[in-house]
Amino acid sequence: MHMSGLAPPALRGWRSLPRDARDTLFLLAVIGWTVLPHLPNLPAWCIAFAAAVLLWRGRLAIANAPLPSRWWLVAALGIAVALTAWSHGTLLGKEAGVTMAVVLMALKTLELRARRDAFVVFFLGFFLVLTHFFYSQSILTAIAMVGAVWGLLATLVLAHMPAGRPPLRLALAEAARAAALGAPVMALLFVLFPRIGPLWGVPQEMTAKTGLSGTMTMGGMAEVAQDESVAMRVRFIGGGRPPPQALYFRGPVLDVFDGREWRSSLPSNPPTQSLGEEGVAGPTVAYELTIEPLRLPVLPVLEMTVDPPQIDNDEANLRLTRRFDSVWVAQRPLIERVRVNAVARLAQRAAPVQGTRDLRDLVALPAGYNPRTLQWAFALRRDPRYAQADARALAQAVLQHIRSAGFSYTLAPGPYGENDPRATVDEFWLDRKAGFCEHFAAAFVVVMRAMDVPARVVTGYQGTDPFPVDGYEIVRQSHAHAWAEYWLPGTGWVRADPTAAVAPDRIERSRNLVPARGLVAGAIEAMSPNLLVQLRNAWEAVNNRWSQWVLNYSRGQQFELMKALGMRSPNWMDLLVALLVCASALAFGGALWTVWDRRHQDPWTRMHQRVRLKLRGLQVDAPAHAGIRTLVEHVRARYGASAQPLAESLLALENQRYGRSPLRRPSPTWWREFSERARALASISIPDQAGATRR
Amino acid sequence: MTPIPAYLPAAWRHRISAWWKSRIPLTDTLTLNQGNIYIVPTRAGLMFLLTVALLLVASINYQLGLGYLLTFLLAGAGFMSMLITHGTLRGLTLHLRAPASVFAGEPAVLEAVLTAPARGLAGRPGRARWGIGLSVDDSDAGWAWVDVPAGAQATATVSFVPIGRGLHPVPTLRLQTPFPLGLFRAWTVWRPAAKVLAYPRPETPCAPLPVSRSARGDPTGTRRVGGDETEGVRNWQRGDPLNQIVWKKSVRALETGGDLVSRDTSVAAHRELWLDDQQAGLSGIEQRLSRLAAWAIAAERVGADYGLRLGGREWPPAHGASHHRQVLEALALWS
Repeated sequence: MHMSGLAPPALRGWRSLPRDARDTLFLLAVIGWTVLPHLPNLPAWCIAFAAAVLLWRGRLAIANAPLPSRWWLVAALGIAVALTAWSHGTLLGKEAGVTMAVVLMALKTLELRARRDAFVVFFLGFFLVLTHFFYSQSILTAIAMVGAVWGLLATLVLAHMPAGRPPLRLALAEAARAAALGAPVMALLFVLFPRIGPLWGVPQEMTAKTGLSGTMTMGGMAEVAQDESVAMRVRFIGGGRPPPQALYFRGPVLDVFDGREWRSSLPSNPPTQSLGEEGVAGPTVAYELTIEPLRLPVLPVLEMTVDPPQIDNDEANLRLTRRFDSVWVAQRPLIERVRVNAVARLAQRAAPVQGTRDLRDLVALPAGYNPRTLQWAFALRRDPRYAQADARALAQAVLQHIRSAGFSYTLAPGPYGENDPRATVDEFWLDRKAGFCEHFAAAFVVVMRAMDVPARVVTGYQGTDPFPVDGYEIVRQSHAHAWAEYWLPGTGWVRADPTAAVAPDRIERSRNLVPARGLVAGAIEAMSPNLLVQLRNAWEAVNNRWSQWVLNYSRGQQFELMKALGMRSPNWMDLLVALLVCASALAFGGALWTVWDRRHQDPWTRMHQRVRLKLRGLQVDAPAHAGIRTLVEHVRARYGASAQPLAESLLALENQRYGRSPLRRPSPTWWREFSERARALASISIPDQAGATRR
Repeated sequence: MTPIPAYLPAAWRHRISAWWKSRIPLTDTLTLNQGNIYIVPTRAGLMFLLTVALLLVASINYQLGLGYLLTFLLAGAGFMSMLITHGTLRGLTLHLRAPASVFAGEPAVLEAVLTAPARGLAGRPGRARWGIGLSVDDSDAGWAWVDVPAGAQATATVSFVPIGRGLHPVPTLRLQTPFPLGLFRAWTVWRPAAKVLAYPRPETPCAPLPVSRSARGDPTGTRRVGGDETEGVRNWQRGDPLNQIVWKKSVRALETGGDLVSRDTSVAAHRELWLDDQQAGLSGIEQRLSRLAAWAIAAERVGADYGLRLGGREWPPAHGASHHRQVLEALALWS
């Protein structure tokens, strides 16, 4: 971030900066890069605080000014802790943890005195990198974080090059080298390290993500509508695909309204109890559902899936139960990809059973909220036409009103409740009349309840992408939907989708909540309508690989790999054994190499040794320290003129090593020639032998 | 430095350390290989291990595929940094330049020449060695850091202070590197065979030089030459050694258009001085040697011919660098 702050003229100054200043600026830039993707997740004060500290530290580095005293840091830390507690309500938990990590990281840069401090920054940095993955594990995040890890490693390398002023490029290269050398180890560990379930329960707050949230506010789902990521993939087994308007995937049911937020009154982990729905009749449809990690303890299967869905390879032990509100819940949030097989009934009515909860609670509305809508509902209820009407007729009347009273369906209705937060529904129902599913569902339920009809909001997904890929239909986060149910005595809960009343397209053709295209995308679409689709398909194929092989690489895939390697029934011990075998092989290779390295000699040294031994055999004085020329002299001294060929041979060896075009190792033919000449010399000088021994 | 656990009593540690060192052969040239390089994780390395373990737990608990990838990337890089750290020292050749003689109590400079081979494993190009530190073992002095380019040499300079006169073995040296990530520290212990000769510490302030005689034989009487006193000066002549130039006066002379100014030693040149341990007039032998050393320095400075009489042996009067050294060596090694 500082690099961009310094304009090009300052780039020249970059080279003339003292080394300490340059290293500090580099570290600050790396920290900035690491923090940057967190900006949407951080409170504004934290962003301002971190930016101010980092910029100030950069200034200090450039000016070579002293660092502030410890008291300033303690004071700043105190303020930051107080602000964190104020903005998150706690110091624990993921959000507060990330904020604190950023604050600590920024403050630590003001305290970089010893190398120990530098290490603290690095380790905090690696944690910060990990926290990004709570929010997103997309390819883009991965690429950004590769940059961050590279930068952190490079600063670590730089800290261990104390001499001179090593160029950054060099530190980056060395960091890349360490990482590249470590890549095989990484791959091995990634493939073989046994995957196990979570070690302990994950607080739900820690896993928040866009998608269904378990609560609903007016306009809260607009963010989900932007999210084109895959939520589920569904495949219908044995033909029989239900019509699009029947594809309601039932998520959290919200039956408590406090005037602002809708939530569920039921515990997420209820006792198992039969709901008496076994008798529900109607044609059945079998389907397979692959659910991406939704981070909710809810399994959004098709409505009227009465029999327990079968989970493939349930190592995580989800223990599904069907709650009183007909929602399948797991005992913990789904933080891994789950594949289930289930059968749904295509009956249009739900069970005539209301569990233990009193229906009176389901007509409750918060006092003092939305008075005009209540007035409107009372008026409808008092209308003589509906004097004898039952719940169904009232619901039809309300839906008819939605159809005819000028309501419009839009994903960008603007915020509600800005003037009067206690009249959001009034504002929608009577004034602006523009919104999307959750506005309609919420208003419908409020109106029904005002007319004393028990009603509730159901959230989930509705519809799929129109074109199946490999038989799989994709349900995106943007298919998230909210609809309503009301209680019809004698029949049970009846689904009413007020959105269908105003935008039948949304339901019948499964047109998902697509916001207006941006300028660029619009231009591309205008030029070539297919290009955008093709690009998206290619990108999604890459993404699918990514999520199959990196994000959701699971024990099942590990076992399949072991099977492919020839193991009949692998278990997790086999994975450990495979890992240990690889480690032992590595260690053994290392040991072998050690032995080799100890014995390893320069080829020239080895040749020198051989030559000396040969000359000793010829009774020539050949000490270890003697160079080739000395050896030549000794040979000449011993044999005189007859030693000329051997001497020339030795000089040729010297020439091979030190001549104009030196060889890397002695040529093999040379040794043959040399030993021939040595043999010849030995045969010539047999008469001399006696003299030599005498000497 | 040696891998001796810190929890052992100090006396034991000292003994083990001494035994350990005594096993290391004395050599002025040492090539580092598997056999003489030690490597252990640093404190930061252990912290790194803890970090990786925490990242792993977080990845398991939140089932983060990318978290696993990050954890294993760091683990792999950390593991490989061990080999890189070791490789930074492996293959280096250390050579100690013959150390110069010093006066006792003055630091003796040790110059180690580090040579990196031009070729690495299997004939591949060698690698530059970064961040290598040299220090005197068991001393608080810092590290002399050098980088050694591939196939080139670098010199690291450390010093130690010989306390008394005589021949001192060069202390054990330690060469270490934390490069690249500082998670491991590789080091080697090097006992050079070279020795440093320490001359007696010259007495300060210098006592007056003994009475000298002119070369012709008559004593020049009471003239005393102090250690720092300068004789007369004259214009520089070709052939005057550099250390005869009086720089301060030369500057002034040059500014006014003159020439360099040399110390005029012609007055002293014909004088002959005998430095006699009997004349030194002190009881302790070390004190006398100190005084003789100071005299020798003073006499050399004024350019007088001086001889040495020490315990019945004589070094005839002369002057010049080699004579000076001879005299000081005699003093240093006197026993």
